[in-house]
Amino acid sequence: MSKYVVSSSPHIGNDRTVMTIMLDVLIALLPAVVGSVVFFGFYALFLEVLSVAAAVGAEALYNVITKRDQTIGDCSAVVTGLLLALNLPVSVPFYVPIIGSAFAIIFVKMLFGGIGKNFANPAIAGRIFLLLAWASMMTAYVKPITWTDGDAFVYFRCILKGREGLLDVAALSTATPLASLRTEAAGLDIFNMFFGEIGGSLGETSALLLLLGGVYLIVRRVIDWRVPVTFIGTVAVFALIYGAAKGQALDYILPSIFGGGLFLGAFFMATDYSTSPNTKLGLTVFAFGCGIITSLIRFFGSYPEGVSFAILLMNIVTPYIDKAFVPRPFGYQPKKGAKA
Amino acid sequence: MRFTFRRGIHPADNKNIAKDVPLMDFPTPQTVSIPLSQHIGAPAAAVVAVGDEVKVGTMIGKAASFVSANVFSSVSGKVTDIVTCRTAIGAKATHIVIENDGAYEEDFLEPLLSPDAAEIKSRVAEAGIVGMGGATFPTHVKLSPKTPVDVLIINAAECEPYITCDYRLSLEKTSEIFKGVEYMMTALGVENAYIGIEENKPDAIAKLSALATDRIRVIPLVTKYPQGAEKQLIYAITGRVVPEGALPSDVGAVVDNVHTAFAIYEAVELGKPSFMRAMTVSGKACTRPGNYWVRNGVGYKDIAAYCGETDDAKKVISGGPMMGFAQTDLAPSTGKGTSSLLFLTEEEVSSGDKPISACINCASCASHCPMRLMPMFIERAVEAEDAALAKKYHALSCLECGCCAYVCPARRPLVTAMRRAKKLIKEKGV
Repeated sequence: MSKYVVSSSPHIGNDRTVMTIMLDVLIALLPAVVGSVVFFGFYALFLEVLSVAAAVGAEALYNVITKRDQTIGDCSAVVTGLLLALNLPVSVPFYVPIIGSAFAIIFVKMLFGGIGKNFANPAIAGRIFLLLAWASMMTAYVKPITWTDGDAFVYFRCILKGREGLLDVAALSTATPLASLRTEAAGLDIFNMFFGEIGGSLGETSALLLLLGGVYLIVRRVIDWRVPVTFIGTVAVFALIYGAAKGQALDYILPSIFGGGLFLGAFFMATDYSTSPNTKLGLTVFAFGCGIITSLIRFFGSYPEGVSFAILLMNIVTPYIDKAFVPRPFGYQPKKGAKA
Repeated sequence: MRFTFRRGIHPADNKNIAKDVPLMDFPTPQTVSIPLSQHIGAPAAAVVAVGDEVKVGTMIGKAASFVSANVFSSVSGKVTDIVTCRTAIGAKATHIVIENDGAYEEDFLEPLLSPDAAEIKSRVAEAGIVGMGGATFPTHVKLSPKTPVDVLIINAAECEPYITCDYRLSLEKTSEIFKGVEYMMTALGVENAYIGIEENKPDAIAKLSALATDRIRVIPLVTKYPQGAEKQLIYAITGRVVPEGALPSDVGAVVDNVHTAFAIYEAVELGKPSFMRAMTVSGKACTRPGNYWVRNGVGYKDIAAYCGETDDAKKVISGGPMMGFAQTDLAPSTGKGTSSLLFLTEEEVSSGDKPISACINCASCASHCPMRLMPMFIERAVEAEDAALAKKYHALSCLECGCCAYVCPARRPLVTAMRRAKKLIKEKGV
């Protein structure tokens, strides 16, 4: 037995591990989490905690039952649980995030082999599952709390009395701005859409807070800027063309990019490593596809919002994109004559 | 414009541990054990027997083929044993064990006065000179390219962390290096040479630049690993891309290490064959790090003793931390390619020995690969034992530089996978 450690080169590595990447994502989501409490009260935080706990619990339990090494230490289940919660409206009952997260972790992630092996983003698939299972609940958006609703107790009443407590305060249900976008873009409050004072799911309302986190991830090189830039850019161009056809070329652009779940999807969901391509060109194609499908669903489909469906569809295409765009190595020589 | 290549990594260079310690003679021990396989190619054949008297520079191993190199005694004394034991890279090789009489009587070749190309080439072969950057490819083969070349590139990049011997050599033996480069240019018949050196060695750049001419230019390179990899270096300096599977000479270039140029100067002007080299001993687990002139055949245990290996040495590496070989013990001895011996503490290597977890498909390995490969797909091909797929992903182009494994957040053993892929492709003959 050697007194020295013997292993293959390289003998040094950088500081990044799967856990630090996931922690970076959680840090980047922090502004949106704070925003969700500010806009929807502490019940939002309650849903987020439940969702994270269910995701981590489901993964831990799966590993125990199948006698695998415990993997919850990498914190990826925390990210999945939190992303799923941020995709829910505040009006959902407490069991919705629990079922959604458990579904996402077990059926979308673990059954396919765990982290890195899943074909679809678990949070997205979980959200779509919930949307199909509880269609009305999942689209029952309420107006965010505003300071004019009363005193600071508003926030605490929300958690004490749960969902009903919240609805007492902000009983007015509302549609997301996207619902009206297809027919009429004028009159939407761009300012509130950017800062988050609109109806929508917990984490999607404020483009600003998501942008803060997204820029952090790009600066830390956790995500590739090509995905959000291409995704959002494609949606913007599509909105420009759609608007032009209606004679209001510019009116549709800002509501399209600030409305709905585009920022949440483009910065945090489409950038998931396992379910997006592995090359820069592939990522660009992937994000372009996401943008096109999102716009098609929003303007021509039967749902008001299409970000989740777009990402899910492009997740499925990802292996083919990876096959189609294998980078040419340094010094690549095109084969002459017959193929080897 | 700054000279560099695409992708790569920026590891902490840790060169400050040894960089300011001038080269000094390493005290040669009582016994040296000189491996006959210190180079790529056929091992040299022993030409001495137990009991023979040898001097410093006496040939003890003769090149066994064109791609091979002569081996010389590094001390004067008596051959006491011929044994087969393990070298620093883990291969078995014949070692000539010589009892050092401490007299250092010399038995050198005749110095050459204004030699022509053929004389220089045969001297390089005679003196057993090999690539001293660590790859140890016989230099006379490189100086006899099959296709015409027009540029000589001298590699003084020294991109591996910790290692500073080429830096010290560039500072202390500047004019000798230029003379060696001139001989190499004569041998190759080229009119252009470039000395490429990373920007983190400004004083060496200044020293070299003072002697630079229109024919021999000094090129400061961006400090980035693996800047000293042959194909990356050629691209950085000339913009030429060596085709997959081809040699530098196919794009008209020959690359040799700066220490090789110095060795050629010594062989030509002093008649001194290759039996000694500059070497860095470094790492936080030794109390006397520095740069030493070390004769071939000095045991790693002698180096450990002299340089004060401490009890917290967790890993001992022959070569650099990116591409060097971890040692199981201190039995091997130095050779022509031993550029460094590192004694590293737990703290220094913990970043490379983290637990392995599942690939998360982040593609960091691909985005840092200087050869633009997809290491994660090659690893998967290897696990499926699919040689054809590994080849399709160009596993054979891998340099084994280790950038992929360095950046992998799941700490996948990607370099091992690359080596397995190459072996698999060879075995299955796809």
